Amino acid sequence: MKINEGFELRTVCGENVIVAYGRKNIDFSKVISLNESAAYLWNAVIGKEFTCQDLADLLCKEYEVDAQTALNDVIQMVDSWKEVGLVSD
Amino acid sequence: MRALKAIIRYLLRILLTPFRYLFKRRNGVCASVVRHELPNDAFLGLVSEKLAEGHTAVIWVKGYSMRPFIEFGRDKVKLASAPTYQVGDAVLAEIEAGHYVLHRIIDKEGDKLTLQGDGNVRGVEYCTTSNVKGVVIEYIRPKRTLSADDPGLKRNIRIWRTLRPIRRYLLFIYKAVV
Repeated sequence: MKINEGFELRTVCGENVIVAYGRKNIDFSKVISLNESAAYLWNAVIGKEFTCQDLADLLCKEYEVDAQTALNDVIQMVDSWKEVGLVSD
Repeated sequence: MRALKAIIRYLLRILLTPFRYLFKRRNGVCASVVRHELPNDAFLGLVSEKLAEGHTAVIWVKGYSMRPFIEFGRDKVKLASAPTYQVGDAVLAEIEAGHYVLHRIIDKEGDKLTLQGDGNVRGVEYCTTSNVKGVVIEYIRPKRTLSADDPGLKRNIRIWRTLRPIRRYLLFIYKAVV
Protein backbone atom coordinates (compact mmCIF):
# COMPACT_ATOMS: atom_id res chain seq x y z
CA MET A 1 0.00 0.00 0.00
CA LYS A 2 0.96 3.64 -0.30
CA ILE A 3 0.17 6.98 1.30
CA ASN A 4 -2.12 8.88 -1.06
CA GLU A 5 -0.88 12.04 -2.66
CA GLY A 6 -2.21 15.38 -1.53
CA PHE A 7 -1.45 15.16 2.18
CA GLU A 8 1.19 16.98 4.14
CA LEU A 9 2.29 16.38 7.72
CA ARG A 10 2.76 19.64 9.60
CA THR A 11 3.70 20.43 13.16
CA VAL A 12 1.52 23.13 14.69
CA CYS A 13 2.15 23.97 18.32
CA GLY A 14 3.84 20.63 18.93
CA GLU A 15 0.98 18.69 17.37
CA ASN A 16 1.39 16.62 14.23
CA VAL A 17 -1.46 17.39 11.89
CA ILE A 18 -2.20 16.18 8.41
CA VAL A 19 -3.29 18.87 5.99
CA ALA A 20 -4.70 18.10 2.58
CA TYR A 21 -3.07 20.27 -0.04
CA GLY A 22 -3.48 20.47 -3.78
CA ARG A 23 -7.21 20.68 -3.36
CA LYS A 24 -9.00 23.96 -3.81
CA ASN A 25 -10.71 23.77 -0.44
CA ILE A 26 -8.97 22.65 2.73
CA ASP A 27 -11.31 21.53 5.46
CA PHE A 28 -9.56 22.48 8.69
CA SER A 29 -12.62 21.41 10.66
CA LYS A 30 -11.61 17.83 9.94
CA VAL A 31 -7.92 18.02 10.64
CA ILE A 32 -6.35 14.65 11.41
CA SER A 33 -3.74 14.58 14.13
CA LEU A 34 -1.09 11.92 14.53
CA ASN A 35 0.69 10.97 17.71
CA GLU A 36 4.46 10.82 17.81
CA SER A 37 4.86 7.20 16.71
CA ALA A 38 2.29 7.53 13.92
CA ALA A 39 4.08 10.66 12.68
CA TYR A 40 7.38 8.74 12.77
CA LEU A 41 5.86 5.97 10.63
CA TRP A 42 4.31 8.52 8.27
CA ASN A 43 7.65 10.20 7.65
CA ALA A 44 9.41 6.87 7.24
CA VAL A 45 7.14 5.56 4.50
CA ILE A 46 5.87 8.63 2.69
CA GLY A 47 6.26 8.22 -1.06
CA LYS A 48 7.12 4.52 -0.70
CA GLU A 49 5.29 1.23 -1.05
CA PHE A 50 4.92 -0.53 2.30
CA THR A 51 3.12 -3.33 4.11
CA CYS A 52 1.82 -3.52 7.67
CA GLN A 53 4.80 -5.74 8.46
CA ASP A 54 7.21 -2.99 7.28
CA LEU A 55 5.53 -0.51 9.62
CA ALA A 56 5.63 -2.99 12.51
CA ASP A 57 9.36 -3.56 11.88
CA LEU A 58 9.95 0.18 11.90
CA LEU A 59 8.08 0.49 15.19
CA CYS A 60 10.14 -2.30 16.76
CA LYS A 61 13.33 -0.62 15.60
CA GLU A 62 12.44 2.75 17.14
CA TYR A 63 10.41 1.77 20.21
CA GLU A 64 10.69 -0.97 22.77
CA VAL A 65 7.72 -3.06 21.80
CA ASP A 66 7.26 -6.73 20.95
CA ALA A 67 6.61 -7.68 17.35
CA GLN A 68 3.04 -8.92 17.84
CA THR A 69 1.86 -5.82 19.73
CA ALA A 70 3.49 -3.62 17.13
CA LEU A 71 1.78 -5.46 14.30
CA ASN A 72 -1.63 -5.28 16.01
CA ASP A 73 -1.24 -1.55 16.61
CA VAL A 74 -0.11 -0.97 13.05
CA ILE A 75 -3.08 -2.88 11.60
CA GLN A 76 -5.44 -0.80 13.69
CA MET A 77 -3.73 2.43 12.65
CA VAL A 78 -3.69 1.51 8.96
CA ASP A 79 -7.41 0.70 9.13
CA SER A 80 -8.15 4.16 10.49
CA TRP A 81 -5.87 5.74 7.87
CA LYS A 82 -7.72 3.84 5.14
CA GLU A 83 -11.05 4.90 6.59
CA VAL A 84 -10.20 8.56 6.17
CA GLY A 85 -8.55 8.05 2.80
CA LEU A 86 -4.92 8.64 3.75
CA VAL A 87 -3.65 5.36 2.30
CA SER A 88 -4.75 2.97 -0.42
CA ASP A 89 -3.68 -0.51 -1.52
CA MET B 1 -29.14 43.35 39.60
CA ARG B 2 -27.57 40.03 38.64
CA ALA B 3 -30.45 38.09 40.15
CA LEU B 4 -32.94 40.29 38.32
CA LYS B 5 -31.14 39.63 35.05
CA ALA B 6 -31.23 35.89 35.67
CA ILE B 7 -34.96 36.02 36.42
CA ILE B 8 -35.66 38.04 33.26
CA ARG B 9 -33.56 35.61 31.20
CA TYR B 10 -35.41 32.66 32.70
CA LEU B 11 -38.80 34.20 31.92
CA LEU B 12 -37.65 35.08 28.41
CA ARG B 13 -36.49 31.52 27.85
CA ILE B 14 -39.94 30.20 28.74
CA LEU B 15 -41.65 32.89 26.68
CA LEU B 16 -39.43 32.29 23.68
CA THR B 17 -39.52 28.50 23.70
CA PRO B 18 -41.51 28.26 20.42
CA PHE B 19 -38.98 30.56 18.74
CA ARG B 20 -36.15 28.49 20.11
CA TYR B 21 -37.67 25.40 18.54
CA LEU B 22 -38.13 27.17 15.19
CA PHE B 23 -34.60 28.56 15.30
CA LYS B 24 -33.09 25.15 15.94
CA ARG B 25 -35.20 23.55 13.23
CA ARG B 26 -34.05 26.16 10.74
CA ASN B 27 -30.36 26.20 11.52
CA GLY B 28 -29.88 22.78 13.06
CA VAL B 29 -27.83 21.85 16.07
CA CYS B 30 -24.42 20.31 16.20
CA ALA B 31 -25.22 16.76 17.31
CA SER B 32 -21.81 15.62 18.32
CA VAL B 33 -19.19 18.16 19.12
CA VAL B 34 -16.28 16.01 18.05
CA ARG B 35 -13.74 18.36 16.71
CA HIS B 36 -10.13 19.07 16.71
CA GLU B 37 -9.24 22.32 18.37
CA LEU B 38 -5.72 23.50 17.99
CA PRO B 39 -4.49 26.59 19.79
CA ASN B 40 -6.15 29.31 17.79
CA ASP B 41 -3.36 31.59 16.71
CA ALA B 42 -0.84 29.00 15.54
CA PHE B 43 -3.60 27.18 13.75
CA LEU B 44 -4.91 30.33 12.07
CA GLY B 45 -1.34 31.08 10.95
CA LEU B 46 -1.45 27.84 8.98
CA VAL B 47 -4.91 28.72 7.66
CA SER B 48 -3.70 32.15 6.46
CA GLU B 49 -0.71 30.56 4.79
CA LYS B 50 -3.01 28.24 2.83
CA LEU B 51 -5.36 31.12 1.97
CA ALA B 52 -2.42 33.09 0.59
CA GLU B 53 -1.59 30.09 -1.63
CA GLY B 54 -5.04 30.44 -3.18
CA HIS B 55 -6.90 27.73 -1.30
CA THR B 56 -10.22 28.20 0.40
CA ALA B 57 -10.42 26.98 3.99
CA VAL B 58 -13.21 25.71 6.21
CA ILE B 59 -12.74 26.33 9.92
CA TRP B 60 -14.74 26.07 13.12
CA VAL B 61 -15.23 29.43 14.73
CA LYS B 62 -14.26 29.93 18.35
CA GLY B 63 -15.97 32.31 20.73
CA TYR B 64 -19.21 34.23 20.80
CA SER B 65 -18.12 37.54 19.30
CA MET B 66 -19.89 37.00 15.97
CA ARG B 67 -23.31 36.30 17.40
CA PRO B 68 -25.98 36.14 16.02
CA PHE B 69 -24.56 35.35 12.59
CA ILE B 70 -21.97 32.79 13.62
CA GLU B 71 -22.68 30.56 16.59
CA PHE B 72 -19.80 28.94 18.48
CA GLY B 73 -20.00 25.13 18.53
CA ARG B 74 -22.54 25.07 15.74
CA ASP B 75 -21.18 26.95 12.75
CA LYS B 76 -18.22 26.70 10.45
CA VAL B 77 -17.16 29.28 7.88
CA LYS B 78 -15.46 28.99 4.52
CA LEU B 79 -12.75 31.57 3.95
CA ALA B 80 -11.03 32.78 0.80
CA SER B 81 -8.56 35.54 0.15
CA ALA B 82 -9.88 38.40 -1.97
CA PRO B 83 -8.30 41.30 -3.82
CA THR B 84 -10.39 43.89 -1.96
CA TYR B 85 -12.51 43.93 1.15
CA GLN B 86 -15.71 45.89 1.74
CA VAL B 87 -17.59 47.22 4.73
CA GLY B 88 -19.88 44.39 5.83
CA ASP B 89 -17.41 41.60 5.05
CA ALA B 90 -16.54 39.22 7.89
CA VAL B 91 -12.78 38.81 7.68
CA LEU B 92 -9.95 36.89 9.28
CA ALA B 93 -7.39 39.52 10.24
CA GLU B 94 -4.04 39.39 12.01
CA ILE B 95 -4.53 42.41 14.25
CA GLU B 96 -1.23 41.94 16.06
CA ALA B 97 1.69 39.74 15.09
CA GLY B 98 0.40 36.19 15.54
CA HIS B 99 -2.97 37.24 16.91
CA TYR B 100 -6.05 36.71 14.77
CA VAL B 101 -9.70 37.71 14.91
CA LEU B 102 -12.65 36.88 12.72
CA HIS B 103 -14.73 40.04 12.82
CA ARG B 104 -16.71 42.26 10.48
CA ILE B 105 -15.45 45.38 8.72
CA ILE B 106 -17.57 48.27 9.96
CA ASP B 107 -15.56 51.13 8.51
CA LYS B 108 -13.04 51.59 5.74
CA GLU B 109 -10.91 54.61 4.92
CA GLY B 110 -8.38 53.94 2.20
CA ASP B 111 -6.62 50.83 3.41
CA LYS B 112 -7.42 51.48 7.08
CA LEU B 113 -10.11 49.21 8.46
CA THR B 114 -12.18 49.19 11.61
CA LEU B 115 -13.43 45.78 12.70
CA GLN B 116 -16.07 44.78 15.20
CA GLY B 117 -17.58 41.43 16.14
CA ASP B 118 -21.32 41.25 15.47
CA GLY B 119 -21.78 40.14 19.05
CA ASN B 120 -19.59 42.87 20.54
CA VAL B 121 -21.21 45.93 22.00
CA ARG B 122 -18.21 48.23 22.36
CA GLY B 123 -14.77 46.91 21.43
CA VAL B 124 -13.41 47.52 17.94
CA GLU B 125 -10.11 46.61 16.29
CA TYR B 126 -8.08 48.64 13.84
CA CYS B 127 -5.94 47.22 11.08
CA THR B 128 -5.08 47.68 7.43
CA THR B 129 -6.11 45.66 4.40
CA SER B 130 -2.67 44.01 4.42
CA ASN B 131 -3.56 42.42 7.79
CA VAL B 132 -6.64 40.76 6.31
CA LYS B 133 -5.96 37.13 5.42
CA GLY B 134 -9.34 36.10 4.13
CA VAL B 135 -13.01 36.86 3.90
CA VAL B 136 -15.95 34.64 4.88
CA ILE B 137 -17.61 33.40 1.68
CA GLU B 138 -19.91 30.83 3.28
CA TYR B 139 -21.64 30.44 6.62
CA ILE B 140 -21.94 26.70 7.22
CA ARG B 141 -24.64 25.69 9.69
CA PRO B 142 -25.56 22.07 10.43
CA LYS B 143 -28.73 22.28 8.37
CA ARG B 144 -27.92 24.86 5.74
CA THR B 145 -25.08 26.71 4.15
CA LEU B 146 -25.50 30.39 3.43
CA SER B 147 -23.40 32.19 0.86
CA ALA B 148 -22.03 35.52 2.03
CA ASP B 149 -23.77 36.99 -1.04
CA ASP B 150 -27.17 35.75 0.11
CA PRO B 151 -29.47 38.82 -0.17
CA GLY B 152 -31.44 37.89 2.95
CA LEU B 153 -28.29 37.49 4.99
CA LYS B 154 -26.84 40.76 3.66
CA ARG B 155 -30.04 42.56 4.59
CA ASN B 156 -29.98 41.07 8.09
CA ILE B 157 -26.38 42.13 8.55
CA ARG B 158 -27.25 45.68 7.47
CA ILE B 159 -30.23 45.78 9.85
CA TRP B 160 -28.05 44.42 12.67
CA ARG B 161 -25.56 47.23 12.06
CA THR B 162 -28.18 49.94 12.26
CA LEU B 163 -29.46 48.42 15.50
CA ARG B 164 -26.07 48.82 17.16
CA PRO B 165 -27.38 51.22 19.84
CA ILE B 166 -29.75 48.54 21.15
CA ARG B 167 -27.51 45.57 20.32
CA ARG B 168 -26.93 44.84 24.00
CA TYR B 169 -30.65 44.18 24.57
CA LEU B 170 -31.08 42.22 21.35
CA LEU B 171 -28.16 39.98 22.31
CA PHE B 172 -29.76 39.44 25.70
CA ILE B 173 -32.92 38.20 23.99
CA TYR B 174 -30.90 36.18 21.47
CA LYS B 175 -29.08 34.38 24.30
CA ALA B 176 -32.46 33.39 25.70
CA VAL B 177 -33.38 31.85 22.34
CA VAL B 178 -30.26 29.81 21.55
